This record gives sequence, C-alpha cells and structure tokens, in this order.
Amino acid sequence: MATANDSVHGRIERARLELTPTQVALGLALAAIIGFTLLFFQEPLMHDSLHNFRHGAGITCH
Amino acid sequence: MLQQYLLRGLKAGLVAGLVLGLFVALVANPVVGMAEGLAGDHGHGAANAGDGHHGAEHESAVSTATTKAVSVLGGVFWALLLGVVTFGVAFYFLEPAIPGAGDTQSYLLAAAGFVTVSGAPWLVLPPQPPGVEQAFGTDLRIAIYGGMMVAGLLACGIAGYAYTHLRERGRPVALAGAVAPFCLLVGAAVLAPANPVEVAVPETVVTGFRALVIFNQAMVWVVLASAHAWLLRRERSTAATETSNTGYAEPTPTAD
Repeated sequence: MATANDSVHGRIERARLELTPTQVALGLALAAIIGFTLLFFQEPLMHDSLHNFRHGAGITCH
Repeated sequence: MLQQYLLRGLKAGLVAGLVLGLFVALVANPVVGMAEGLAGDHGHGAANAGDGHHGAEHESAVSTATTKAVSVLGGVFWALLLGVVTFGVAFYFLEPAIPGAGDTQSYLLAAAGFVTVSGAPWLVLPPQPPGVEQAFGTDLRIAIYGGMMVAGLLACGIAGYAYTHLRERGRPVALAGAVAPFCLLVGAAVLAPANPVEVAVPETVVTGFRALVIFNQAMVWVVLASAHAWLLRRERSTAATETSNTGYAEPTPTAD
C-alpha cells in the first residue's frame, strides 16, 4: 500500500520490522549461492553442465 | 508487504524462466553445439592464449545430454533469480525512488537490470561463441565481469538519483544527468586493458552468436518487465474495485 511515508528509507524500516536477521541472511545466502553457481562456479562437473547456458547468456567467465 | 513483492517477482521470474528455458532448449543448445562443431573443424594454430579451454578440450566432464538438460534448468533458475532479486527485492526497496509511474517503473528497472547483469560486463568481455581463446585467464575474467557488474549497478543508481534530483530544472537537464553516468561507464570500459582473442570460427559466426545472445538476454528482461507490469496492474485494479464500490471496472477490451 502506498502511504504518505512512502520512501526508500520507509521501506527499509518496514522490512526491518517484518524480517528477522536470520531470514535476511538466509535469503541473501540463497541468492548468492544460486547466482554464483550460475555465473562463476568453475568446478568441472558444474561448469560443463552449464556450458550451453553460460554461452547463451553471454557469461564468458569460464 | 515484502512477501507480496517477492511473490510478484517470483511469478514474473517463472514466466521469464519458461521462456528462457524454451529458448535454451530450442535455440542455444543447438547453436552452441553447431559453433563447437565449427571450432573443431578449424584447428587451433599456435594456441598459447591464457587458460582458455575452448577448442583444445572437448572432453566434457559430463554427457552432451546432461549439458543440454542442466543448461535448460540453468536458464529457468537464471530468470527466477533475476525475477526475485530485481522485481521482488529491488523493486520493493526502490519503488518510491524509480522515476516514472506504472509500467514505466517496471521497464526502467528491467533496463537497469540488463545493464548491470549483462550490458556493463559485455563492454569489456563481449559474449563469445565456443572456439574463441581469450588471453585473460578465468580468474581475471571473473573479477572483471564482477567488477563491471558493480560499475553497471552504480551507473544505474547514480543515473536514477541524478534524474530525480535534476527533474525540477527541466527534462533535458534531468536526462543529461541520467546519461552522464553511462558515458563514464563506457569510458571506463574503453580504458580497461584489452583481452585479445584468438577466433577459431568464422567472423560471421561470432557476430551472429553475439546478436543471438544480446537478443536472448534482452528478451528475458522484456518478459520479466511485461509480466511484472501486468501483475502489478491486475493487483491494483483488483484493489481499486474492492475499495471503491463505485462500479470501477477493468478497462474494457476494444476488440475481442
């Protein structure tokens, strides 16, 4: 809902009330793991499995 | 409230994930395979470039079928991740600050996402088909790619901030302020050290492949933004009908 107090700062305050630090940490960790795996992970099994996807997405980091 | 945004981002990501998954299955998989075949035909002259493994390798650690299947899944997860992070998390926090209203906000955020995730890194490391040996080692390229993502994100953030704060001095000034950070970004990319490549496939293959990749990633962001804008419009019109009982109706379609 858009309120009078609708600012980036207000949203951050609101998120701090709604979320526990554990939830924030879990969410960030999950996003970081998926992102890192898709973009940069070099372990041969993973790298070769994602080969076509990475080429297709223009991720040349392998 | 955040939950509602995350769910909306997830839904948009799901739509884009289906599209991207299909694209990888029907286009990227066969095209990459074809380019690999071409690269194999051309041999590799004095290949001394970095640790680029393309060309010389070709014994993959997994079967072709696995690569194809996992790559499709990778595409689905890629779009899901972009949807949740960009349209779930980032849109929740930045909605009050993104210029424009309604659909415009979704498309602006998608453009910023494209610049951050793909556009900025490509300025230094353009998409390459298989069969291109790069002088830069993998670690260096990862660092550059990550660094350019941060630079792209900064440029988009500063552009948005500049636009909002220069808005009252007139639109041309605000637009100039928004364009300036991107000029700096391109300047930084031009000044970055060159990454000589050794191409084992015809130049047209490289050009065609790049066009395909750019189209593919732009498509992901357009689908994400369209799905997100549609979901948002639908939610808002539902909320409007519920709050005011004045007979507000969905915009009536003009044609069947």
